[in-house]
Amino acid sequence: MKLNRREFLALTGKTAAGAVIFAACGLPERELIVQSPVDMPEDLVRGEDAWYATSMGDFTNGDGVLVRVMEGRAKKIEGNPDHPVNRGKSTARYDSVLQLLYHPDRIQEPMLRYSKNGNLVNTTWDEADNRFRSALANADGAITVVTNPIRGHLGNVATKFADQYNGKHLTFDPMEQGVLHGAVKSVLGQEQLPTFDISHAHTVLSFGADWLGTWGSPAQFGVKYGEFRSQSHRGYLIHAEPRMSLTAAAADLWLAPKPGTEGDLALGIASIIINEGLATQENISTFNTILPDGLDRYSVAQVSDRTGISGDRIEKAARHFANHTPAVAFGGGSAGAHTNGSFNLEAIYALNILVDAIDTSGGVTPNPKSAIEELPSSSTGEPFESWEAELAQWRAGNVETVIIRGTDIVHGMPNSVGVREALQNVPNVIVFGTVHDDTMDFADLILPEKTVLEAWGTEIPEPGPGYQVVGTQQPVVGPTVSHDESGLTSNARGFGDSLLQMSDGSYGSSMEQLVKNGLADLHAAGRGSISASSSSLFTNGALQRGGWWDTGTRGTTDLGKIRSTERNAYYSDTGTLGTGNDFHLVPFHSNSLLDGRLAAAPWAQSTPDPITSASWSTWAEINSQEAQSLGIKEGDVLLIRSTSGEIEALAYPHPGVRPGVIGVPVGQGHHRNGRWAEDRGSNVLSILTGQKDSHTGALAWAATQVRVQRAGRRVKVPKFEGNVEARPVEPGVPVLVVAINETAEHAQKENHHIYQKQFIGKDEQDKQHE
Amino acid sequence: MQQRRELDQSYTNRKLLNGQLDTPKWWAPTVTGLGILVVIGLIVIATMINKGLGVTGLGRPVFWGLFITTFVFWVGISHAGIMISAILRLTQAEWRRPVTRAAELLTVFSLLTALVFPLIHAGRPWRIAYWITPYDISRGIYPNIRSPLIMDPVAISTYLTGSTLFLYIALLPDLGNLRDRTTGWQNAMYTVLSLGWRGNPRQWKMQTVGGILLSALMLPIFVSVHSIVSWDFAIAPAVEGWHSTIFAPYFVIGAVHSGVSAVVTMMALMRWLWKWDDFIRPEHFDALARLLIVVATGWLAFTFLELIFAVYGQDAPELALREMQMFQWPWNLLFIIFLLTGYFIPVPMWLFKRVRTNIALMFWTSILVNVGMWLERFLIIVPGLARRTPFVYTWEAYRPSAVEWTIFIWSFCWVTFLMLLFSRFFPLVPLFEQKESQVFTEDVTIGRAKVPAIVREAD
Amino acid sequence: MTTENFGNNNWGMVVDVDKCIGCNACVLACQAENNIPLNTQDRVERARSISWIRVERYWEGDFPDAKARFIPIMCQHCENAPCEPVCPVYATYHNAEGMNVQVYNRCVGTRYCANGCPYIVRFFNFWEPVWPESLRNHLNPDVTIRSRGIMEKCSFCVHRIRRETRKARSEGREVIDGTIQTACSSACPTSALNFGNFNDPNSKVSKMKKDKRHYTLLDQFATDPNVIYLAKIDADKKVAAKHD
Ligand SMILES: Nc1nc2c(c(=O)[nH]1)N[C@H]1C(S)=C(S)[C@@H](COP(=O)(O)OP(=O)(O)OC[C@H]3O[C@@H](n4cnc5c(=O)[nH]c(N)nc54)[C@H](O)[C@@H]3O)O[C@H]1N2
Ligand SMILES: Nc1nc2c(c(=O)[nH]1)N[C@H]1C(S)=C(S)[C@@H](COP(=O)(O)OP(=O)(O)OC[C@H]3O[C@@H](n4cnc5c(=O)[nH]c(N)nc54)[C@H](O)[C@@H]3O)O[C@H]1N2
Ligand code: SF4
Ligand code: SF4
Ligand code: SF4
Ligand code: SF4
Ligand code: SF4
Repeated sequence: MKLNRREFLALTGKTAAGAVIFAACGLPERELIVQSPVDMPEDLVRGEDAWYATSMGDFTNGDGVLVRVMEGRAKKIEGNPDHPVNRGKSTARYDSVLQLLYHPDRIQEPMLRYSKNGNLVNTTWDEADNRFRSALANADGAITVVTNPIRGHLGNVATKFADQYNGKHLTFDPMEQGVLHGAVKSVLGQEQLPTFDISHAHTVLSFGADWLGTWGSPAQFGVKYGEFRSQSHRGYLIHAEPRMSLTAAAADLWLAPKPGTEGDLALGIASIIINEGLATQENISTFNTILPDGLDRYSVAQVSDRTGISGDRIEKAARHFANHTPAVAFGGGSAGAHTNGSFNLEAIYALNILVDAIDTSGGVTPNPKSAIEELPSSSTGEPFESWEAELAQWRAGNVETVIIRGTDIVHGMPNSVGVREALQNVPNVIVFGTVHDDTMDFADLILPEKTVLEAWGTEIPEPGPGYQVVGTQQPVVGPTVSHDESGLTSNARGFGDSLLQMSDGSYGSSMEQLVKNGLADLHAAGRGSISASSSSLFTNGALQRGGWWDTGTRGTTDLGKIRSTERNAYYSDTGTLGTGNDFHLVPFHSNSLLDGRLAAAPWAQSTPDPITSASWSTWAEINSQEAQSLGIKEGDVLLIRSTSGEIEALAYPHPGVRPGVIGVPVGQGHHRNGRWAEDRGSNVLSILTGQKDSHTGALAWAATQVRVQRAGRRVKVPKFEGNVEARPVEPGVPVLVVAINETAEHAQKENHHIYQKQFIGKDEQDKQHE
Repeated sequence: MQQRRELDQSYTNRKLLNGQLDTPKWWAPTVTGLGILVVIGLIVIATMINKGLGVTGLGRPVFWGLFITTFVFWVGISHAGIMISAILRLTQAEWRRPVTRAAELLTVFSLLTALVFPLIHAGRPWRIAYWITPYDISRGIYPNIRSPLIMDPVAISTYLTGSTLFLYIALLPDLGNLRDRTTGWQNAMYTVLSLGWRGNPRQWKMQTVGGILLSALMLPIFVSVHSIVSWDFAIAPAVEGWHSTIFAPYFVIGAVHSGVSAVVTMMALMRWLWKWDDFIRPEHFDALARLLIVVATGWLAFTFLELIFAVYGQDAPELALREMQMFQWPWNLLFIIFLLTGYFIPVPMWLFKRVRTNIALMFWTSILVNVGMWLERFLIIVPGLARRTPFVYTWEAYRPSAVEWTIFIWSFCWVTFLMLLFSRFFPLVPLFEQKESQVFTEDVTIGRAKVPAIVREAD
Repeated sequence: MTTENFGNNNWGMVVDVDKCIGCNACVLACQAENNIPLNTQDRVERARSISWIRVERYWEGDFPDAKARFIPIMCQHCENAPCEPVCPVYATYHNAEGMNVQVYNRCVGTRYCANGCPYIVRFFNFWEPVWPESLRNHLNPDVTIRSRGIMEKCSFCVHRIRRETRKARSEGREVIDGTIQTACSSACPTSALNFGNFNDPNSKVSKMKKDKRHYTLLDQFATDPNVIYLAKIDADKKVAAKHD
């Protein structure tokens, strides 16, 4: 029999075997879809969820959040799209707050220490309250309330409470920003920090402040950065910082000045602008009037010499800043954390004068005062100078009662101030908190506190969006602490409620009441984002949207002066510190732990650091070429020594650090703080030396000289990155880089040619193209 | 040139059945010792299944390591059996006769061992029934026959079935022989197993035809098995050094290299352990070594082609992979050991007849080959994974854990244990083949010496 | 039979690399949303940490011209996914909406798909995931907890898609562009991550996809991903002469 192909197919197609064989020849689209006839488990969704709008003052600078709640449990925290500060977006920290809420080591019961040398034992709230009362009764003026910088009603309650007992309310921020507030006050004449209209700027020139990572209002700035990059004139970012932070990495031009020379750099830029006539005469003369002693010392050569940045780069920055307006200059963070911090920041903010950036679109936007008059709209840590004085009082036994909340001062203060001995000399140390921290080791009474997700409050964002905002904070879950495996119990109380309960009631009875009263006042003012017929409707509206704001309000500025032009006084007494190499220590906020307040959360611990991808540890970033010459390899345990002490950190050499600088993240090195943070890594804050900014007395936390030595051990850095330094093996893979207006396709072709050239040489390449 | 003794049939019977009828003294303690090691290995495997694959050294992106390497290794070893029995049988190479059984046995036991590895390396081995039997077909989902992991078990189980049958058919005459020489329970066992073997001409004819037919049927399977194993790797587009069109023949020839070497190792051991100097003779080693020279050189050509492709293609990640494989510590050390042991020490040695006929040297060189061949698989599988694609950020290292090493060692104990256990009940050298070869052998005068020759080979 | 559950959608992501600042907000958001096991120090050190989305950081140049380039990478939901054909049990397959789906129940843990995937976005559960009892309170009830021995990877937050499509269906309307946001795209402060429906020509992602900067990762593998990248812009880059 002779068959042609078609007949053969027809024949076999009729047989069963043929059917099986050729079934596999169907259209791939039909063949490959093997969806189950029923829904897959991942397709099933069950239960209804609710999203509550609230704020988390302790962990953000006023961002509005939505908390997803199902069956009384908080599941997820996202940005609140209605909220004007972060506009629905978040940071790498929001969700970690869930783990503080449900932390297995959350403090359940009040704990009491009967004598200074005794142990902490669980006690009842009744007994705790008695102890609290007697501590207040005996104090008579010798009482200090210590908190993190808090705004809104909680801050107010703390202050009022201290006032009632003739005591003090002191705030503590280990990486204090007092210099920033001072500089803003001095140059712009503003109490509140301004915000920056990054969205509409064509050039942003920033110094020291990692505003995309941890400084100021990162979610707010991040949203604005997204807009900055999508303008038709894509914005150009210049950032000066000795170590590559997120902001430096995002920058189009990164300048790495020697630490403490940021002011020189700013005035160097100013002098180029003025010499080359890149600013209007009017702006130049305004600038000159606020400058104390001229620009003689700021020629490009001199500035280049002092800052360690090449003249070309400084000129490029200056010209871009002046020529591509609207432009805005701002700074903070490590730029202000020097003995000349005030000068640095004042010089930086003064640059805005030259480009007409104050109170203009694409420039500095001042923030108005708080909408509720009695609420502070700005807060910062008390200067280190005041803290030294205060601790001297404690040590001398002059303070009877100290109440601490929201800040771990034992972890946060340098060894040099001796905070432990000071606390030991205070008869009543009362600490509020959720997880046992280092300060609680010195507490006589520990009071379990509600988290921000369980308590009432208000939040005035700082920096605000340029108009008045009052964010609301409400309990999104009941006081649910699931500690014992059996179920949910909680004896936690809000800090505010506890203080109100202990006070004379003249201010209010509960935080809830205070918040509602505050909202009623806003309702009475009859303006802003919510219009409601009754106060309770207004309150509900505010709580639903996460707050109230009035876009019609504006802040004002009042030009002041740069107060000095002094050099940074390096602390250089490292000769006594034994062998090793001198480095300039630049501590920085951890992207996920911040200053350590999120260290208890395992998510925060495990989130990779953006630059190094390291987690769970303390590492030290040094320049890779320098490391090579010193024989330091990744994972080498480094001993970092200052006159204030020594810590260990794992070396992580990379090309994004200025040689001579060692960057160490803050946030680890707790002795306590729950199972995940306990005795993990090192606390770089402990080895800071007590140098201060000459104007504000703030801690110059970026001005410490250290001596660095290898300990002789090497361990694997716990990091997400693999075991090879990640550099592309061929250009454009996986991050394709294009020039402005270049297509991806063109860039890919070009990269391909660059890659090929390595192998066939230029001549051959050219020949092929002819 | 060695003199060969005239071997009469009763001497052959007595000598070759010494394992069954006259168990050597070392047997019981050795088997007990190995048995203990095997049990320890099984306990470790059970622990791993109980605790999870966290006990291995695997991580991202090196998701496959020692287990898959050892799987490929044992599948490779299994290629000895068919190579020796089927191909040599079909080509009527007479010298194959004393080693066929051992080779087939090695095939069966190494396949059984190989199959363990894909099973235990799975995250949920207890769910592997899904693979082979679509037991919940009510959902309309068959196993994915596009996946080499489905083709693997199909090919290997076919190979295993065929090899077992092959082994069994060749065993029948000897089982009859044993039945006639034993009493009690052993006699009962052999009676059942020998399937009524009487040795009449019809039975002999059927046995011979069956053997030849199976040989022919097994050949394509032989080629398919290691080809499919190679596709486990070759179809992964993203793993450098894996996605290569030359993999199937490369793997098959590599398997023959390692399998035949393993047979050499085994022959030397058999000769020493059971004192079979009269049966397993230097000329056998000589013939196998000549075969190996050809196979090994063919295999080496593929190895170099791989490197040449990389250098010629200038594919950045592939270059990075080869750079690591050849120049970075400790891979460079492994790579050198691999080249030396896999080829550059044994093969030049085999060029000399004095080496080829020296049992001790053949024993050690054949071991070297398998060290090299194991390293070859390791160097194919792991570095490619460790240097995956151009995403340098995810490149990682791999260090096998103690658990993996233990299970690796277990596999060798297990195969040896099975072989020795088998040797207690069945002859490792087929008596009938031996006798048949005796019939074909004649003494031929070459110059002044009288040497045994095999007539059929002279045809 | 099956497609009635789904609209005529082709979900996809457009990642504007130029906007990514490497902040890792997406990473934490995904971790929290999808019940990803706690990445303990041991798991991180042994390259077993699970991160359905990761932000890779590449160095280019040296001080002072060093650049750190960030790129977020999650499952690319390849139309032509190399992870799919190798799976012996169809535990990973392509659904009708342009997504690569992972069926945890079916997976036997061969890790073959992870070798097949060029993007290294598949993660294996080497250990049983454990949470202290109290932390289980924050687990998302919409997302299966994966046991040990199986693969997992970015699902495009399929449960969020299901929630919203069902809601839309019950309200008798089409899904409105932008109402479905994955956890990562919702978190991303700079809007580097954008999620939507490529089948809707008017959706934000469909428009973004046409940007001249669009490219896909590892296109030599012809995987046809549903994650489209927009190239990073270097304002100071000089464009060479045109090549053809
Ligand atoms: N750039 C580049 N070019 C190459 C190569 C490369 O690697 N890169 N490879 C080279 C190599 S190795 C090869 S083999 C060639 C292949 O090149 P071609 O031989 O051109 O192969 P195809 O294009 O795959 O198929 C040719 C046509 O045959 C049709 N066809 C399919 N089946 C049948 C049939 O039964 N009858 C008839 N009449 N037509 C049929 C198909 O539809 C298709 O249109 O390409 C060469 N060219
Ligand atoms: N996916 C896919 N598979 C195919 C085909 C297809 O079109 N697509 N076509 C089929 C056909 S027709 C063929 S011929 C085969 C081809 O199959 P292969 O021969 O494997 O083809 P390639 O993958 O093109 O080339 C293999 C390797 O050779 C290297 N190479 C390139 N040029 C040279 C050279 O000049 N010298 C040397 N030594 N190495 C070089 C490259 O690095 C490449 O990785 O594939 C078949 N399979
Ligand atoms: S590459 Fe091979 S397996 Fe894939 S479609 Fe082509 S012929 Fe088939
Ligand atoms: S690990 Fe699971 S999903 Fe991946 S190939 Fe194996 S069975 Fe399939
Ligand atoms: S990215 Fe990887 S896991 Fe995702 S579909 Fe593609 S191949 Fe599969
Ligand atoms: S789409 Fe969802 S699952 Fe995928 S990376 Fe983003 S958050 Fe994770
Ligand atoms: S959240 Fe957005 S900006 Fe941040 S790392 Fe992820 S993709 Fe990049």
